[in-house]
Amino acid sequence: MLLDLRVSFFLALRGILRGSRGSLYLTVLIIAMVFTNMIFMPSIILGFIKVAEDQIITYQTGNILISPHEDELYIEDVFSLLEKINRVPGVLRASAHYGTGVTLRYKGNSLGSTVIAINPDDERLVTDVYRKMADGDYLADGENDEIIIGIQTSGHKDESLDMGPTLGYLKAGDAVTVEYTNGVSKVYHVKGIIETGSYYADQGAYITWDEMESIFGRKLDYATDVIIKTDPDSYEPEVKTQIYRFGVREKVQTWQDILEEAMGRAVQNFAMLNSITIVVSLIIAIVVLFIVIMIKTLNSRRQIGVLKALGVEKSIIIHNYVFQVLILTTIGIIVGTTLVESMVAILTVYPFQFPDGEVTPVVATSDLINNTIMLYIAAFIAGYIPAWRVASEDILTAMRS
Amino acid sequence: MIIAENLTRVYDMGKVTVHALRGVSITIQKGEFVGIMGASGSGKSTLLHLLGLLDKPTEGKILLGGIDVRTLNERQRTRFRLKRLGYVFQDYALVPELTVEENVFLTSMIRGTSKEEYQAQTLQILDRIGLSDRLTHKHNELSGGQQQRVAIARAMVNKPEILFADEPCANLDSESSRNVLDLFKQINKEMAQTIVMVSHEDWHMEYFDRVIILRDGRIVSDGPPPEEILEKACKFK
Repeated sequence: MLLDLRVSFFLALRGILRGSRGSLYLTVLIIAMVFTNMIFMPSIILGFIKVAEDQIITYQTGNILISPHEDELYIEDVFSLLEKINRVPGVLRASAHYGTGVTLRYKGNSLGSTVIAINPDDERLVTDVYRKMADGDYLADGENDEIIIGIQTSGHKDESLDMGPTLGYLKAGDAVTVEYTNGVSKVYHVKGIIETGSYYADQGAYITWDEMESIFGRKLDYATDVIIKTDPDSYEPEVKTQIYRFGVREKVQTWQDILEEAMGRAVQNFAMLNSITIVVSLIIAIVVLFIVIMIKTLNSRRQIGVLKALGVEKSIIIHNYVFQVLILTTIGIIVGTTLVESMVAILTVYPFQFPDGEVTPVVATSDLINNTIMLYIAAFIAGYIPAWRVASEDILTAMRS
Repeated sequence: MIIAENLTRVYDMGKVTVHALRGVSITIQKGEFVGIMGASGSGKSTLLHLLGLLDKPTEGKILLGGIDVRTLNERQRTRFRLKRLGYVFQDYALVPELTVEENVFLTSMIRGTSKEEYQAQTLQILDRIGLSDRLTHKHNELSGGQQQRVAIARAMVNKPEILFADEPCANLDSESSRNVLDLFKQINKEMAQTIVMVSHEDWHMEYFDRVIILRDGRIVSDGPPPEEILEKACKFK
């Protein structure tokens, strides 16, 4: 068996090296393109999901989000909850948010928005929003009369970059009027403009917890949500379990849960698109390889008959052609991988611009392995069937062809 | 030794039934150079194909080296052809992607002969047929006569018990044909090689020890070449 395979491989190598160069290059190019097609689409989807993941963790909810229990509007007794959560193993820091609907007014423009009260010192330990000040500075604990606003609310200098209605290029140092639902209207000094690249984070407006308490005229011991940063070495679902074990009865979600909730449907649709792309690519690969081997074998019918007459086993002849497609597939995969990696390198420097940020393709090793295996199986089938058909012909019929 | 008894081969071609062979019986001794001759459609190639295990008779029995080939399954027939028989075809049938050397050692490689051994055997046989300087040439770099000599080398490299040649000179000019036939004769004499060759050229008879002439699927003559052919050959030489 090994000897037969060795002979088949010998014939296959000679067949490729000394056969038609044009056919060789064209076949390899098609396989490379098919492989690129199979890898590139999922890499974009994965890049898109990766951006969403990064933005959720870095600028929106941290690693874990606690929101009110289904029947309640707020998380009660939030300060003792924060103390409790900060003691949970794996939690680096928790930060409470209190969000309320407001109307922002600036130079005749008005815009409905949400102002979120935060404790800036806690917030710095949970999100990286403080690092993304496009203009001015971040808030400090205890500050009053100051507000920071996301660039998708303040507006860009170049209006074409705005993705929705804005206040019309509000800058740090400007004054903005905030009208609360309780009837309070207050003019704030804009301390900074946030630009994270995350549309959700760049829509918000933030004031300090003390400032919100002064607006409501009472101590605020409840929150609309609590965001948590976990230790990089800890696994979020385990930390979530620990939080529940510490007696927290609110809704606790890891970033994976949030992503699933927010993008689950989109990811499913992407996965379906991806499957269709892969199936179409595989069919193209099978058809191309089938035709290539069919033409090769039909052109070699007489030669195959002669080889059989000389005592060459049918299996050696079939394996010869199967090896040829596997070799072509291997070269195609190598060229395809090089193409994909080159495209990834270029798109890392010049990423796709999406509303939620810059998307760079991410090639998952599992995708590379799975698609390689699928392509090899397709190639095997595409090579085996035509080779088997011709090799199974009667010797004299083949020789007379 | 080849013993064929009452060989019949009928081809069913739709509404037409062709009787290619009608009860042919022959015995060929080891070391004989036998020519099978006859007009087109006489059944000479069919007989060669049956004796060379490339086809199966409709009726009759073939014993090759004492083995009743009817008892062999397809795989065993393939192994038998590889190990004990050699073939030379009309159109040389060299593998185009292989060099002269590779074409010759291919069957030795399949037989499991070691690389050193088959390379030495290849060199030896190519040296014998005068093509040892063409080892790395491909078939399209050789003349028809040279290609046929390579095909003979390929058939001979494994020292087959019987060498079958199906009109090996059909595509060659008379000079190349004579070279090929001289080579066959040399192999036959020096190595006591049994050769069964199909031909339709009368002058080829001078090379054969024995000539079997077929007509309409039956043997009409079996014996040494006619005297007049041999005399003509002597005159020519």
